[in-house]
Amino acid sequence: MARDKIYSEEEFPSPLLQLWYNFKQTPVVMIGFSCFLFLTLLAIFSPLLTPYTSVENNLSFLLLPPAWHSDGNVSFLLGTDNLGRDMLSRLIHGTSLTFGLSFIVVLISLVIGVLIGSISALTSGIKSSFLNHFLDVILSIPSLLLAIVIVAILGPGLSNTLWAIIMVLIPQFVHITRNAVTEEFQKDYVLASRLDGASSLRILHYSVFPNIVEKLISQATLAQSAAILDIAALGFLGLGAQIPMPEWGAMLKSGIDLFYIAPWTVYLPGLAILFSVVATNLVGEGMRHALKMRKEA
Amino acid sequence: MNLLDIRNLSIVLKSETNPILAVDRVSLTMKEGEVRGLVGESGSGKSLLAQAIIGVLDDKWQVDADRFHWRGQDLMRMTLDERKAIISKDVAMIFQEPMACLDPTMTIGEQLAEAVDCDQLSGYFWQKTQQRKEAAVGLLHKVGIKTHKICLDKYPHQLTEALCQRVMIAMALAKRPILLIADEPTAAMESTNQGQIFRLLASLNQLKNMSILLISHDLENVTHWTNTITVMYSGQFVEAGTTKQIFEQPFHPYTRALVDSSPKANMGLPTKSRLSALPGSIPILQHLPIGCRLGPRCPRAQQECVIAPKVRNSHGHQFSCHFSLMGSY
Amino acid sequence: MSSLLQVSNLSKSFKLSRNWFNQKTFTALEPISFEVQAHQTLAIVGETGSGKSTLAKLLVGAELPTTGNIKLNGQTLQPGNFKQRCQHVRMIFQDSGTTLNPSLTIGQLLDEPLQLNTDLTDEGRNLLIRETLQKVGLLAEHMSFYPHMFSGGQKQRISLARAIILKPQVIILDEALASLDPSLRSQMINLLLDLQQQMGLAYILISHNLGIVRHFSDKIMVLCNGQVMEMGDTLNILNQPKHQYTKKLIMSQRFQLSHR
Repeated sequence: MARDKIYSEEEFPSPLLQLWYNFKQTPVVMIGFSCFLFLTLLAIFSPLLTPYTSVENNLSFLLLPPAWHSDGNVSFLLGTDNLGRDMLSRLIHGTSLTFGLSFIVVLISLVIGVLIGSISALTSGIKSSFLNHFLDVILSIPSLLLAIVIVAILGPGLSNTLWAIIMVLIPQFVHITRNAVTEEFQKDYVLASRLDGASSLRILHYSVFPNIVEKLISQATLAQSAAILDIAALGFLGLGAQIPMPEWGAMLKSGIDLFYIAPWTVYLPGLAILFSVVATNLVGEGMRHALKMRKEA
Repeated sequence: MNLLDIRNLSIVLKSETNPILAVDRVSLTMKEGEVRGLVGESGSGKSLLAQAIIGVLDDKWQVDADRFHWRGQDLMRMTLDERKAIISKDVAMIFQEPMACLDPTMTIGEQLAEAVDCDQLSGYFWQKTQQRKEAAVGLLHKVGIKTHKICLDKYPHQLTEALCQRVMIAMALAKRPILLIADEPTAAMESTNQGQIFRLLASLNQLKNMSILLISHDLENVTHWTNTITVMYSGQFVEAGTTKQIFEQPFHPYTRALVDSSPKANMGLPTKSRLSALPGSIPILQHLPIGCRLGPRCPRAQQECVIAPKVRNSHGHQFSCHFSLMGSY
Repeated sequence: MSSLLQVSNLSKSFKLSRNWFNQKTFTALEPISFEVQAHQTLAIVGETGSGKSTLAKLLVGAELPTTGNIKLNGQTLQPGNFKQRCQHVRMIFQDSGTTLNPSLTIGQLLDEPLQLNTDLTDEGRNLLIRETLQKVGLLAEHMSFYPHMFSGGQKQRISLARAIILKPQVIILDEALASLDPSLRSQMINLLLDLQQQMGLAYILISHNLGIVRHFSDKIMVLCNGQVMEMGDTLNILNQPKHQYTKKLIMSQRFQLSHR
């Protein structure tokens, strides 16, 4: 009886790989993760994937119900809205707006927040306190309210709302980074590195960041689901994306008037928002769960 | 009649690939009023054994035994609820790091009052709160804290480790247990405080005839305060006997190595000479050796050691080794 | 014989209150002076709060002294100059769980001090890492393992490897043996003794376990609340303690030097 492996080889994965294995074990989380990837692909490749453009008017096909209705047409899979624009194409383009922009917003606030947080953690005294708290005033204002204030000053538009959401997300990252970096600095291996003669930058790069990156990512997923909802809410209020941009919140707004005659113009963007928020939350939850399991193992 | 009679207890870590035998057929007996030490290094399964006795292991561990008697009652035949009722009434446990075992958001007085047994309170329900408080003060006096007023209103982080451990012992005494299991109670303390805690346990043993199972990894510490000792290594039973027998005439090579590594034995050696030590390190759970688990490290190991040795008894001194040191005494 | 390490008047005080008007200072360590020779071990004994960890941090350079200086082979070690100091004085910490960076392999961990302080090429560093791992009793294959795969005793050996890789002259053991199991402790002590013979190291052992201190050290210093209670040869002090505090310490460990 021959065996193909006489010595069972054990894998010794790095902590990051361990995290990935733990992450893979929950099926629900993997479904959420694949949905997240699917949305990201849609957001990046939306111009190539849509059958029609998002602004193309087909005046002969106004308010067509989705293809599974008896009146529907299969060339407009999800129906059309009141100006004859294809819902499917609009939704896919909207992915790059709502979902894609939320991703970029989180990325920008992550980078700025981590920068400010690290500087705050490296210094001490008044300078560090100031950096830690100077954006805290913004934390007390809900992002929606802040966006309305900015819109009142600068005028409505997608870019203004993006700045508002970035500003609201930065203090969260500042706090998390500063706490995590200060905690890491208490550890002995950072002291050992410093005694070896490493500069602060080198310590940050090699000893501190690899160990806090997981906390940052789980905070980023939380922030992203908040950002998606904020962008959609502001679009719904008419303060964010303007017509004719196919942002999901703006689509909801234009669909509300037609709710009784063409409900698909409302529920389809709503479902899209729900889908993306659930996918983001699943990924975030899965990551936090995997972190906890890795700590216990 | 033995208080606790465990024969061939095994604890298996369930997993789909291959279940791991974390504790392999360990036997333990305790008499009334006895202080027994359970000695083993990290990975020896001593804490697992204590938790199995109390019954707090979760579902991923499976506990089997040939015999598990408590005061003559066979616990293996009872339902889970009956077993829990008996054990929780008669057995109490205290842990390492007492400050972490106390609730940081409640004062000591509140926690003690919570631990007091309802059966011991008599009176109408509006009197019970006052009676609880008095019972809590009584418990603190039992463990030697006279200045109870200072303690009762403080939070755990405001007290020292030794004081927290006394509070833990007071909470354990609330139900008037017959057996107290102390899982490395002094590991986090300085040597002066260790003496205090051990003296308290010894006085409880003498005054109330309470049996104590003292778990530790330091053989030398334990020998001063115990009557009998059981030694475990990597989940297997190694040796058991009276303290004098174990310390002066250890039969198993592992016990001999433990005795040799204690400072008292090294006093004869000249300064800065090599200590006698077993080579290698403790096996991890994923790579347990077959048969006698000391095999790879034992200086007396031979071909037969791949079969786990049976327990042999000589004048109450039990050991499990094929090539014991019995002949050299 | 000229001594390897000379400490004179070293002390450390911390400023307590943030008031600009009355500054309260907390003296963690009163001015002390001592000397250590090569091949010798000095043990520093005391309860928590006695100032022994402060002394260790001052010696290794993690804190700046308030007064005094440290001389190695006649050269003053400048406070704050890590690159100069790390070639000569290294430290092993107590809690092996947090001394090793969990996201670096052992090879990368040992590579870092070499990259920062020596001019060796990649192959030279690789060779040195392999030799050092073999010296402490680990295999060269362990270079690609992560710290979580090692047991406590092996982690202490890796800390020891990190300490000796720069070929220092003084190693400070800050309660390094306290968390080990007794059998592993004996192995580690044997290893330390061998290295002391081979490399001519001087050890400064900080511990509260008098058994290890008695076996391992030549001289002993007893600290209490930042002050030196007694200092001298180990056997003399443990046999005939003069100060009240030393007597209490020895009694609490039920330590009797004479045979039973």
